[in-house]
Amino acid sequence: MDELKIVNENDTAQYIVIKIDNEQFGINISVVDNIVKMTHVTRVPKVASYLKGVINLRGEIIPVMSLRLKMGLKEDEITKATRIIILKLEQHGKIGFIVDEVKEVITLESSQIEKVATDTSADKVTFVQSVGKCGSELISILDLNSLTVEKE
Amino acid sequence: MDVSQYLDIFLDETKEHLQNLNNQILDLEQDSENMDTINEIFRAAHSLKGMAGTMGYKRMQNLTHDMENVFSEVRNGAIKVTPDMVDVLFKCLDALEGYLSTIQETSDEGTNENEPLIKALNDFLNGKGGAQPKKEEAKAEEPAEETAAADAPASEAGLVEKWQNIKLTDTEKHLFEKAKEEGKFFYGLTVYIQESCILKAARAFLVFKALEEHGEIILSKPSTQDIEDEKFDFDFSVIVVSGEPIEKVVEAIKSVSEIEDAVGRALTDADFNAVEAGSSSQESTAKTTAVASTEGDKPKASGEKKAAGKPVVNRTVRVDIEKLDVLMNLVSELIIAKNSLVSASNTDDAQRSSSFNEQIEYLESVTTNLHESVMKVRMVPIESVVSKFPRMIRDMQKTLNKKMELHMSGEETELDRTVVDEIGDPLMHLLRNSADHGLESAEVRKQRGKSEVGNIFLKAYQDGNNVVIEVGDDGNGIDVAKVRDKAIQKGTITPEQAENMSDKEIIDLLFLPSFSTAEKVSEISGRGVGLDVVKSKIEALSGEVEVRSKLGEGSTWIIRLPLTLAIIQALMVIVGDEKYAISLGSIQTIEDIPTSEIRLVENKEVIQLRGTVIPLIRLNDVVGIESSKAPDDNLVVVIVKKGDRLAGLVVDELIGQQEIVIKSLGKYISKCKFISGATILGDGEVALIIDANALI
Repeated sequence: MDELKIVNENDTAQYIVIKIDNEQFGINISVVDNIVKMTHVTRVPKVASYLKGVINLRGEIIPVMSLRLKMGLKEDEITKATRIIILKLEQHGKIGFIVDEVKEVITLESSQIEKVATDTSADKVTFVQSVGKCGSELISILDLNSLTVEKE
Repeated sequence: MDVSQYLDIFLDETKEHLQNLNNQILDLEQDSENMDTINEIFRAAHSLKGMAGTMGYKRMQNLTHDMENVFSEVRNGAIKVTPDMVDVLFKCLDALEGYLSTIQETSDEGTNENEPLIKALNDFLNGKGGAQPKKEEAKAEEPAEETAAADAPASEAGLVEKWQNIKLTDTEKHLFEKAKEEGKFFYGLTVYIQESCILKAARAFLVFKALEEHGEIILSKPSTQDIEDEKFDFDFSVIVVSGEPIEKVVEAIKSVSEIEDAVGRALTDADFNAVEAGSSSQESTAKTTAVASTEGDKPKASGEKKAAGKPVVNRTVRVDIEKLDVLMNLVSELIIAKNSLVSASNTDDAQRSSSFNEQIEYLESVTTNLHESVMKVRMVPIESVVSKFPRMIRDMQKTLNKKMELHMSGEETELDRTVVDEIGDPLMHLLRNSADHGLESAEVRKQRGKSEVGNIFLKAYQDGNNVVIEVGDDGNGIDVAKVRDKAIQKGTITPEQAENMSDKEIIDLLFLPSFSTAEKVSEISGRGVGLDVVKSKIEALSGEVEVRSKLGEGSTWIIRLPLTLAIIQALMVIVGDEKYAISLGSIQTIEDIPTSEIRLVENKEVIQLRGTVIPLIRLNDVVGIESSKAPDDNLVVVIVKKGDRLAGLVVDELIGQQEIVIKSLGKYISKCKFISGATILGDGEVALIIDANALI
């Protein structure tokens, strides 16, 4: 209990580090429900291409999207390292992200995180909310809201 | 004592009584002399009053009390039922429903006194000529009787003043002396509760509460704890110290409903002397004072609890005990099946496979039956919803000044509880539409050679896996031309589009949200108020609504609802390399059609099957996948039905029939209209369920 308190006081948060292409991204651990190995994804017709379909997670039907396609990268290559990260979001319920690899869990203090200057003038959607520095590495922290909001 | 644990029962029963009253008063309006009806109304009102009183809802109790008075006079023949009275009575019922819904939300009855209604009721009692003196006479008699009862109860009513058996101790005597000095009286009282009373403890609590208002309870027999636990017969005795005359105290007790009588008198010195002579014990001294003080605290405590007022959720299903028995039996069979499987796995290989199969078949039949029974438990007759409609039509008759009659049939048709709860509003909407816009005024009806009284029909019946509810009228029907003009004028469709649209398609425009919210559409088209809401609500229940109308003859709205929501029988098919499920309820037949039989009509593929032309829908095109079959292979066509329309779904392969559990795809993937959900197959794979209705 004491340890937890100290962590909170220092205003730190834990992030799961994932790899997509050659970039590392962080997802706040508080929204992560589960990480599962790649399984059979049932395609759902007539939906956006980045929505790969649905999976069965212990009797629950969960929609799965490809982060690669959502970010405009090329189609996923399913390898042994491929994982589906199941997030539990308030407005959408559970949703899965297909990622190339899940690397580690890191703890970042708020001083280690820098907001990204978002260029609002350009009509470009950015999925990165801020950047965290962990040692010499830079980790882009994903903005889950903009990832899950569907553009009309 | 806390009555909140009875709240659910109270809400349920009050609703029943209110509905009963509604029906009976409707009957009364038709036949104002029927004694049976009047008696029934009186009884229902009386129970309502009693229950409201038990729960401590004073305002509700007051209103029902006055209603009961009116009925009582009607029953005695002192006043006659008049249309005015019926109107007021209906308003009272509405007010009671108001109380009820407030209670449901906050567990408090609110502050609306409904004084105008109470006044109106009293006007019936007082203002109606000959009734007045009689009523007053009756009132004068009552107190007289009460005093008499209080004076000489034992001999008169056969009620024994059991309080005399209470042992009095020095403490009481001390208190008695003190009270005497303060000019207060010591009363010994015995309260009799009606033997029909169900919540004795609650009644006793209310008596205590009433007594607290007039004085202080010193002692009770049985003890307060026992009374709370209902450890007493139909009477209990108390010793009370009060500054008020005995009549007032007795009256206060009698104001609690279901109290048969209360008898008692003031204690005198002699009582104490007599007791003392009989060697009073000291043992109960400490106890009694403790009881007295806790009793003082308790009502306050429960009062505070009530003030906290949390919303009350009331989602119960009343289940026939037989249905539960069946369930219980099935569950025990399930356990047996499980045990047999366990023992089968212990036998040697040779026997194993055959006994396994046997047991699995057994297990299958048990689970299917279990599912059916559980579904049945969830089923309730739609009566609970439709029974309020006659009253509604009656009210509309007055406000719209049209004559109309409601014919209902199939009230006993059963639907899933969740569906029944939701279906009320859409049905009411359609009935209102029919009454308001559908039926013509009496004059117009006469001109058209129809009977002056308009007819509205509500029909419910089961049709395969669906329940169909039809709402119809013999009124004007929908004027298609007017709807078309309005749609063009509003820019919903272009004139060119309108040319090509069938009457049916144009009528369907009424369901568009933009159409109904448009001003004055209801005048022009005669329809359209909130129909989009009706449609969306029914679609949310995976049902559908369509309308058939003939200008001048009336229209019928047909609602189809699935019998069950969670588990269905489905046909599993393969399209490309994907598996899909189609609900068996919508499937007519499955046909093997050679490609040579395909014809083109308006560039669409159709087949002729036993004389009917059926459009083909290639599922692989719909779901966007390559078909695994060669172009000139025979087609596997699943003929599906929606209402009276047919369509043929072309699939690649059939797997077979299967019982599937419907799961939602979630909000995130909801755009796909023809996928109604997903299900998990035996191997853990997910298959999507195709909503054939959405494809036709």
